[in-house]
Amino acid sequence: MKFLKIVLPIVFIFIAISCNKDFLEPQPISAISEEGYFKTDEELESGILNMYDGIQGINDRNTSSNHSIQYEFYLTEIRTDNTRGKGSVDSDADQAQFVNYNIRATNGIVADYYRSMYNIIYRANVVLDNLDVASEANSAKFEGEAKFVRAYAYFNLVRLFGDVPLVEKVIAPLETEVSYTRVESSTIYKLIEDDLLTAVANLDDNTKNRASKAAAQALMAKVYLTLGEYSQAQTLCESIMNPARGFSLESNFKDVFYSEGNDEVIFAIGYEPDLIKDSQGFSSEWLNAVGYTAGVNYVTAEMREAFDQFGGERTLYSIRQDVIQPSEYQVAKYIPNGDENLGISPIASDPRLAGNDWIVIRYADVLLMHVEAILAGAEATTSSNAIESFKEVRNRAGITTEVTTITKEDLLNERRVELAFENQRFFDLLRFGEAQNVLSAYSTENKYNFTSSDLLLPIPSSEINLSKGLLQQNPGY
Amino acid sequence: MKLRIKLTLLALLSLQLFSYGQEQLVLSGTVTDSSNIPIPGANIIVMGTNRGVYTDFDGNFIINASKGEVLQISYIGYETKDITITDNTTYAVVLKESASELDEVVIIGYGTQKKSHLTGAISKVVNEDLEQIAVSRVDDALVGQVSGVNVQATEGEAGSAPTIRIRGTASISGALSPLIVVDGQVVDNDYLGALDMNNIASFEVLKDAASTAIYGSRGSRGVIMISTKMGKEGKTRFSYNTYTGYKRARQSDSYYFSVKKEAQTELEATGTLSDRTMYKQQIGIDTDWQDIIFTGGVITSHSIGARGGSKNTKFSVSGNYTHDEGVLLKDDFKKYNITLKIDTKVSDLFSFGANITPTFTYKDRFDGYAHDILRQPPWLPIYHNSNTIQYVNRDIYPDVQIGNYAVQRHFDDYDLYGNGSSVNISSTSNTNPAAKILERDRTEDRFKLYGSVYGQFNITKDLSFKTVFSGDFQNAKNRRWQGVEASRNGAAAAQLDISSQNVLHLTTESYLTFNKKFNDHEVNAIAGVSSETWDTEYESVRGTGYDSDLLQTITAATTISLAESEEYEKRLFSLFGRLNYAYKDKYLVSLSLRRDGNSALGPSNKYGFFPAASVGWNLAREDFLKNSKTINNLKFRFSYGITGNETFNTGSNLIDNYPYLALLEPSTAVVDGSLVSAFNPVNIANPGLQWERTKEINPGVDFGFFGNRITGSFEYYEKESDKLILYNPVSTTTGFANALVNIGEVRNEGYELEVTTRNIMSSDFRWSTTIIGSMNKNTLVDFADSNGQILSVDSKRAAEWINLEGEPISSFYGWVVDEEISPEHILDPYHPVGSQASGVYVKDLNGDGLIDNDDRTILGNPYPDLLWSITNDFKIGNFDFSFMFQGSHGAEVRNMADQYVFNHFNSTQQYNLQTTPNQDFIREKIFTNSIIQDASYVALRNVNIGYNFPRNLLERTKVFTRARIYASGQNLMYLTADGYTGFNPESIISTSATTYGYQLGGSPIFSTISLGLNLEF
Repeated sequence: MKFLKIVLPIVFIFIAISCNKDFLEPQPISAISEEGYFKTDEELESGILNMYDGIQGINDRNTSSNHSIQYEFYLTEIRTDNTRGKGSVDSDADQAQFVNYNIRATNGIVADYYRSMYNIIYRANVVLDNLDVASEANSAKFEGEAKFVRAYAYFNLVRLFGDVPLVEKVIAPLETEVSYTRVESSTIYKLIEDDLLTAVANLDDNTKNRASKAAAQALMAKVYLTLGEYSQAQTLCESIMNPARGFSLESNFKDVFYSEGNDEVIFAIGYEPDLIKDSQGFSSEWLNAVGYTAGVNYVTAEMREAFDQFGGERTLYSIRQDVIQPSEYQVAKYIPNGDENLGISPIASDPRLAGNDWIVIRYADVLLMHVEAILAGAEATTSSNAIESFKEVRNRAGITTEVTTITKEDLLNERRVELAFENQRFFDLLRFGEAQNVLSAYSTENKYNFTSSDLLLPIPSSEINLSKGLLQQNPGY
Repeated sequence: MKLRIKLTLLALLSLQLFSYGQEQLVLSGTVTDSSNIPIPGANIIVMGTNRGVYTDFDGNFIINASKGEVLQISYIGYETKDITITDNTTYAVVLKESASELDEVVIIGYGTQKKSHLTGAISKVVNEDLEQIAVSRVDDALVGQVSGVNVQATEGEAGSAPTIRIRGTASISGALSPLIVVDGQVVDNDYLGALDMNNIASFEVLKDAASTAIYGSRGSRGVIMISTKMGKEGKTRFSYNTYTGYKRARQSDSYYFSVKKEAQTELEATGTLSDRTMYKQQIGIDTDWQDIIFTGGVITSHSIGARGGSKNTKFSVSGNYTHDEGVLLKDDFKKYNITLKIDTKVSDLFSFGANITPTFTYKDRFDGYAHDILRQPPWLPIYHNSNTIQYVNRDIYPDVQIGNYAVQRHFDDYDLYGNGSSVNISSTSNTNPAAKILERDRTEDRFKLYGSVYGQFNITKDLSFKTVFSGDFQNAKNRRWQGVEASRNGAAAAQLDISSQNVLHLTTESYLTFNKKFNDHEVNAIAGVSSETWDTEYESVRGTGYDSDLLQTITAATTISLAESEEYEKRLFSLFGRLNYAYKDKYLVSLSLRRDGNSALGPSNKYGFFPAASVGWNLAREDFLKNSKTINNLKFRFSYGITGNETFNTGSNLIDNYPYLALLEPSTAVVDGSLVSAFNPVNIANPGLQWERTKEINPGVDFGFFGNRITGSFEYYEKESDKLILYNPVSTTTGFANALVNIGEVRNEGYELEVTTRNIMSSDFRWSTTIIGSMNKNTLVDFADSNGQILSVDSKRAAEWINLEGEPISSFYGWVVDEEISPEHILDPYHPVGSQASGVYVKDLNGDGLIDNDDRTILGNPYPDLLWSITNDFKIGNFDFSFMFQGSHGAEVRNMADQYVFNHFNSTQQYNLQTTPNQDFIREKIFTNSIIQDASYVALRNVNIGYNFPRNLLERTKVFTRARIYASGQNLMYLTADGYTGFNPESIISTSATTYGYQLGGSPIFSTISLGLNLEF
C-alpha cells in the first residue's frame, strides 16, 4: 500500500499538468491567426499587397492552383484571330478548345480564371471589411487601392462571362444566394464605376505595380468606352495625357517590354525571375515546347498579314519566326530566354520562371482610347485631337504617312498591332461591335466552330454542379 | 550471398559443438494428446538448464537429463506438463488440451485478454510462416489473412505502402488506414514499411467499435496491434532467416503496340498504307515500352536474431537487411532494421523494460508515370543507332549523334519519297521517355526510431501500476535531381529539390491494472491517462540552373528558386478505462470509456467521449453442452461502441493542424522591382469543427465443432459514421475552393466469416483449410447540402464522380457508351500507333432525342463487395505445402491509363466535323463508362513448399535445432476481369474519398518466386 500512496499522486500530477488548457491549444508557428490581425495600418497594408500576389497568380501546373492572369491569354488572344495553338496535334484538349471555339463548361482554364478573379475580389474585400482600423491618413488610400483591384477583377469577369455573382464583402460558404445568383451586367458595371470613382479620387501616381490614379482613370476610361459613355472617357484620357503626369511613349518599341518601369507603363503586374512564387510561366508557354505545353499563343496567318500591312517597325519586336518549326511564328513580346538577333538577353535561368512584368495598361493604349472616345461610336473622325493621338502611336512604329481621317477600322487595326498579344484583342472586338463578324469569318476560313454564343464563356460546370440548379449557364453550353 | 557471413556463422556454430557433452541419462518418449494422437513439435526443456528438444513428427523425443531434473513439456493449445525424472528412461506423456485452445491470450488495447473471454471482433494472425512471403513490407504479407481487412497493392513500386481498409470506407476526408500499435505503442502507419517480419510474433486486428473504442478518437478505422518476439527462459536461441526472390511484372496485353501490327490493321481496313505508317516501318524499330520500364528485379532478405533469458530477465536482439530491386526501371528499396528489447523483473514488486528499434530505409523511385511512357510510339528507339540517325532532321537538330537519346521530333520533316515532300510522325515534343526516368534521381531516405521505457509496480497481488514513456522519431529526406537530359528544356530545366522532415512523437502514459479471480468471478480492469505530442519540422529548397550533371548540389545551382520551412504541433490528451468481467467463464461483460482532447479542434469541441460495451455468452460451457463431442465451443457476442476519427488531409499541413483558426500565411508580391511581403488568408476557419463519430454494433459468434475440427467465427456489423469531416468544395466566389465541415453520414455494413477445418490429422499427413470471406456495403446515408454533388479530380481532364445519398460515397458518373465512332470518321485513325477515337456515341437515356447532362448516370463504384481467400495447408512428413487463393469482386476503377495509352487526348483521334453523322450524340470517352472497368481479380497469392530437416539429422550436428528450406511464390496466377485493360486492377491513386477509384496507370502487379532458408541454433 506504500506504493499506492506514491503512485496515485503521480497519476494525478500527470492529469493536472496535462489538463493545462495551453497544452491543447498550441499556437501556430508557421502562420498567424487572423484573430488579432488587421489591427494596424501596416497589417492592413499587408492585406493590400496580398491583392497583387493574387493577380500575379501561381506559376505551376497544378490544376487546382489559381493561375490568374497567367492563363488570361487563352481567353483573350487564342480565342480571337490573333493567335492559336501551334499545330493542333500537340495541343491538349482544354487549350485546343479556345482555338476551335469548342469551349466546354468543364474547361479547366475557364474555371481557373473564374476562381482566380473571385479570389482577387475576396482579397480586396478582406481589406475593405477591415478598413475601419486604418488611420485617417491612410484610410482613403487603402480604400481606393482595394476598390481599384476589385473593379479590375469584375471588369474582366463581366466582359468574359456576362452576368456574374456579385460579392461585395467577405462571404461564408453558406451564403449560396450570393454565390449562385447571377447579377445583371449593368449592376456589376455600377459597382465597377463606383469603385473606380473612389480609386480615382483617393489615389496618386507614385507607383506602377500598384494601383494609381492614372491606372484607375485609364481603367475607368475603358469601362466608359465599353458602356458607350465617350465624353467621360475622353476627359479621363486627357487627364492622363497631361504632360505633368509624366507618361509618354518609349521611343524604342522594344523598351516598352524589356525595360521595366518605363514611362509608358501605367499599371503592370510585377514578376521576379527564378523565384517559384513570384515568377510567371506564360512567357515560356509561348515558346516551342519550353513551357508545359508544346507551344501556345502562336501567331495566326491573319495576324501576320495585319503586321505586314500595319505593323511598321513594331513588327520586329512583336512576332518572330520559330527556329525549330520555321513555318510557325511566335510572340516576340515578353521573351524569357532571350533572342540574340533581337538583342534581348535572357531574363531567367529557367525560362519557366520568367520575370517579365505583365503590362495591364500602358500609355499607347490611353492614346488610342482617346481616339476611340472622340470617334464616339461613329464610323470615322477627322478631329485633329484624335489624329494627333493616333499619329503619336504610329510615328513611334515608323509609320509616318499622313492621316486625315481615322475610320473605326483603322483604329481597330492599329490597336490590333500596337497592343498585339497584350490580351486586348477580344475586348476590342467586343467594344467595337465587330466580334461576331470578325470571328465568324476567321472561324469559317479556318474550319473552326464559332457561333455567337461563343462570345460569352461558360460558367464553370463545377460551380453549376455545386449550385444544384440555382446557377444558370450561359446559352450554348 | 556474402561468403564472409557464412564463414562467420560456421565458425560460431563449430564453437558451440565443443561446448557440449556431459554424461547423463538418455531419455526417450512420446508426446500424445488425450486421444492418443502424437503431437509433433512439442517443446521439451530441462528446467533450469538451456537444454531442450522438440518432438519429431511421430511425437517422439530423445533428451539427455539427470535423475531429479524436471522436464517441462509444452505445446500451443495444451496445458503444460512437468515431469520429474526418475530411474525410468522412457516416458509416455499425455498433454491435456487446454480448454480447447481457448486460453490463448489476445492482445487488446493496454492489456491482454483470454481469447475465450473476448466479446469484440478481434482477429489474430500468428506469424507462423508469413516471413517466408518475399515482400519488403510487413503489410504486404497480410493480404487475405484477416476477414474484413482489405490490403490492396495500390502502388507496386518497391517499398511503397499498400492501401489498408478495415471494414470499408467510413470517412471522407479523414484518415482511412488503421491505427498501428506496436508492442502497445501507437506509431505512424509508415512503420509498417520499417518493421522486420522475422521479428513479429503476431498481429491482432481490432475491428469492431467495442474493441477499438479504447483508442477513442483514433478507433474508427480499426486497429492493427503488432507484437514483436521476445526471448524465453532458457538457452539463448539464435535464428537466421534468409530468402532470395525473383520478381516479374505482370504486363498488359492491351497496352502492347507494334508498328507491324498497326500497319496490318490499316492495310486490312483501307487497302493502303499512309505515308506516316510507311515511314514508321522504314525506321525499323519496334520498341516494347513495357519491357523497358518493367524490368523485374531480385528481392533478398537476411535476418539474424538472438532471443533468450533467465528467470527474471528476457531479451530479444535482431537485425535485418532487405533489398528489393522492384520491378520498375530504377526503383529500389533497402531496409536496415535492428531491434533491442529487454524486460527484467527486479523483484516481485517492481519490473522494468526497454526497447529500441532504429530503422533505415533507402528508396530509389521510378520518377515518372508508366502511362506517360506507355503512350510513346513503338517506332521510337531509346538511343539513336547508325540506322536511325539518318532520319534526324539535320536543319533543326545538327548536333544529334549516335548514342544520344532519340526524340520524336528528330524524325519529323522526313522526305519519304525523295521529292521534297515531308512527313511528320511526332506526337509530342517531349524528350525520350526512357530519359525521363534514367536522367532523374529521386531518393527517399528514412530514418525511423521508436523506443520505450516502462516501469511496472505491483502494488498488491491484484493491482499493478505501469508507466510508459515512449517516442518515435522520423527523419524523411527526399532528394530529386532532374538532370540536363531529363526534359526537353535541357540545362535550363535541370533542377535539384531537397527536403527534410522531422517528426517527433512523444507519449507518456500511466495506467492501473486490476486482475482478480474469486470464486466464479473474474475481473480485469484498467484506468489510465495518456498524453501525446507531435512536433513536425519541414524544410525544402530548390536549386535551378545547372549547366551539367557534374555537381548535383544546391551550392552548384545558379539560383535558389524556392526555400521554405514550416513547423507545426499537435497534441492529444486522454483518459481511459475498461472493465472486463467474467462469471464462470460463461457470462462475459466488457465496458470501456475513453475521453480524448485534441489540439486540432476548436475550444467548444476539443473533447470527445468514446464509450463501448459488449457482452458474451459461452454456451458451450453450459452444463448441457459441457460434455458434447460435437460442440466444443460456441460463444455468442454482441458489442456496441462509439469511436471517432480526428485526422484529415486537406493538402495543407497548417490547415490540418489548426483548422479552427483563420490562418494567414506569408505571401509576396513584386512592387517596382522589389519583393514585398504580405499575408494571405489560407482557409475558411471552422471553430466548431468536431470529431467524426462512428457508432457500430457487432453481433458475432465463435464456434468449434467435432473436436474442434471445424473452428471459426462469424460477424455481422453495422457501422454508422456521421459528422463526417469533409474538405468540401464550395463556390469559388467565396475566394476559396474548399472548406472543412462536419456533414453527412456513411453506413458500412457487412459480414465476415473465418473458418478453419482440419481435414486430415493423421500423424504423417495433416491438411487444414482456412476460408476467409468478407462482404461490405457502403452507403452514403446523408450528405446534407452536398447531396448529389458532382466532382472531378483534375479540372483539365475532368472525369466526374457523384456523391449521392443511397449510393456508395463515391460513384463514377457520366454517359453510357452506345457505340464506337467508325474509324472512317476519325481524322487519322492509325496515327499515333495504337490510338483510339477520343469520342464515342452515348445513349440517350431519358429518350428525349438529345444528349445532355440529364443523360448522365451512375457508372459504378470503386468499393469491392466481396473479398475472400482460401488457404490450404498440408504437412506431409517433413514437408509442408500451402497455397492461398485470394480474390476481390465488385469494384470498378476509372482506368485513366486508357486515355493516355490509347491517345484519347490526341486531336488526330477526333472525329471529322464534316463527315461524321449524329455528332450531337458524341461525348469524350473520359466522361463515359468507356474507361470504367471491372477491377475484380482472382489471384494465387501465395504458394509455399518447405522441407524441415529431420530432428535426428539436426541432432547429429549438435548445433541446429531447426532447419528448413522452402520455395515460395506470390501471384503466380493473377486473373483480371473481362474488359480490364491495365496491369494492376488494385492500383488507385490517392484522392479524396468523394472521388475514389482513380487509376492512373500506376505500377504493375508482379509475381515473385523465391527460395529461403530458416535456421535455428
